[in-house]
Amino acid sequence: MTTTLIEKEDRREYRATRRRDLAVDLGMTLATILAALIIGFLVILATGKDPVAAYEALLTGPLERSFRVGRWLEDATTLILLGLSVAIPFRARQISLGAESQLYAGALAAAAVAILLPLPPVAAVILPLVAAAAAGAGMGFVPGSMKARLGANEIVATLMLNAIVVRVYDYLVNGPLKQPGSSAVHSKPIQPDSALTPLTDWFGVPLGRANIGFVLMLLTAVALWLLITRTPLGYRIRMTGSNPDFAEYGGIRVPRAIEWSFVIGGAVAGLAGAHLVQGVYGRLEPGLAGSLAFEGIVVALLARNNPLVVVVAGLFYSYLRAGGDIMEQQTDVGTEIVVVIQAVIVLLVTAQALPDLLKRRLIRKQVGAR
Amino acid sequence: MNSVLDVVLSSAFLAAVLRVATPYLLAAFGGLVAERAGISNIALEGQMLSAACTGALVAGYSGSVALGALSGVAVAMLLGLLLAALRLELGADAIIAGIGLNLLASGATAYAVFSLLDDKGGTSGLKSGTLPTIPLPGIEDVPVLGDVLSDQNMVTWLAFLAAPFVAWLFYRTRFGFHLRAVGEMPEAAASVGIPVRRVQYAGLALSGALAGLAGVYLSMGYVSFFVRDMTAGRGFIALAAVFLGGLRPWGVFLAALGFGAAEALAVQLGTLDVPPQLVSTIPYVMTLVALALYAWRRKRRGTGEPAPVSL
Repeated sequence: MTTTLIEKEDRREYRATRRRDLAVDLGMTLATILAALIIGFLVILATGKDPVAAYEALLTGPLERSFRVGRWLEDATTLILLGLSVAIPFRARQISLGAESQLYAGALAAAAVAILLPLPPVAAVILPLVAAAAAGAGMGFVPGSMKARLGANEIVATLMLNAIVVRVYDYLVNGPLKQPGSSAVHSKPIQPDSALTPLTDWFGVPLGRANIGFVLMLLTAVALWLLITRTPLGYRIRMTGSNPDFAEYGGIRVPRAIEWSFVIGGAVAGLAGAHLVQGVYGRLEPGLAGSLAFEGIVVALLARNNPLVVVVAGLFYSYLRAGGDIMEQQTDVGTEIVVVIQAVIVLLVTAQALPDLLKRRLIRKQVGAR
Repeated sequence: MNSVLDVVLSSAFLAAVLRVATPYLLAAFGGLVAERAGISNIALEGQMLSAACTGALVAGYSGSVALGALSGVAVAMLLGLLLAALRLELGADAIIAGIGLNLLASGATAYAVFSLLDDKGGTSGLKSGTLPTIPLPGIEDVPVLGDVLSDQNMVTWLAFLAAPFVAWLFYRTRFGFHLRAVGEMPEAAASVGIPVRRVQYAGLALSGALAGLAGVYLSMGYVSFFVRDMTAGRGFIALAAVFLGGLRPWGVFLAALGFGAAEALAVQLGTLDVPPQLVSTIPYVMTLVALALYAWRRKRRGTGEPAPVSL
């Protein structure tokens, strides 16, 4: 009799802990966003501009017209794919900063297939995507295996690879792949059959360049979530991340798990490159990704590397990006303030001690109340 | 090929190497000091950028180049202290916090320039001047030496003095000894009474100051204005030089100088029909190969730990 009572008590305790942790996590996320918005507000105020008008444009602007919604979804697709791509190695506790090189490799591969190979309709869409994922995976394999097999610092390896691939890409777009006879620098367009279907065709309202890539991105997120939570490989990656010594002791081949986390992440970043080529620009452009690669890291962190939460965080983050552009058009406040807000969010998210402090407070309060 | 040799052996090229290597050297030593203090400083990029922007703005508005340079360095130091505080007080991961600081610097500098000057590109509308160059009387007139060494910016001299300075600091001073001890094994350092946190704060402040000097050089030496995101990844490259140099002052010196030479070469070869983008990948390919070889050797010797997991 007494044992069951204790068990019940234990279970209640456990549930209370889980509820409390979830509440604290959600609360901290909301509080973080709110705090960052307030800081942005104060900065605008300090520079002698009207923060109310600016925030109105920032926060309501993206929803006011359907093509703005399209702009938001298009941006979110690339950003979330990049966020997912780093969330996987992060799960194995690997700081991969290589999303940039993987994206550009993916873009090149997708463009090569979509421009050069004459393919029948459905294959014309799918093969470039496959090629991009493979190229991205290959670009993830290099630093991944260097880390896993040799113990080479993955931060330096991925940064070097970024520097190399971006320059090679730049050379190719300005040189061999430049469309002859065009004054602007870009490649030939992809064949029409390779384009990702615009969402406008489905919904009948103008949604700009938003395309079916958005749906593919959602499917990718769900697939990665299943991979991480429900498969043996996902388990190995998680164990490697939470305690590598224990994982090794438990018979998990840690280097393998690390390598796979890089390869999978790379494939997803490659898809982001394909999305830009097949869905957004329809060709290779210089500086295709802008600063998005690093912002993917922010999204992954904000979501605590949970693939499904990455989608939510990415939607929120790119909403701010889209709103920032509208704010700049409609008011005299520059879009850079959004970057400041985002940076404050990152810095607050990194402050691990804050939620722990809060949790300890709550526990103490509960114990005291009893 | 002859023309390539002509370029490389010209005194103008050697002078250019010194100019181009300056920001890499200073930022790399900034990275080295932080790394040895046990906190990776990936915020070098943001520190350079903030210093470059602050330097140009303050110099432009105050009319004083010295005041501009000093405030630029001061801002970078503050960012170093902020990184240390995030790491030490709030338990932040240094890499992620560093990425956040880089983002902050990129946004804040662009916002500041746009708010003050109504210009999206940079501060070229503001007259802000440059830090003085130093003529070397006597050497000036020596054929090759004079062309290379004379009339270099004062910050370039500081950059080359940074190597012996950091070597002296690390191996000849009490503070340097404490710094290395703290970076290697903080618990042991604390147990013998070294004030671990204070040493780390000081190390990160020094790291920021060096990166700040690199940034100030970009906007007040290299050119006389600030351009948005003008650091262009130099901070990250400097960080690679830190690792490539094996975390030792003279190794880091050679690595950073190598990056500078390669970039100068890429610029020169651009005029000779060799694609500059491809030439400029050489140092990064070399670093990648060196990184792999170094790790492989360490693994084969069995002295390194098996596949260390970071973060």
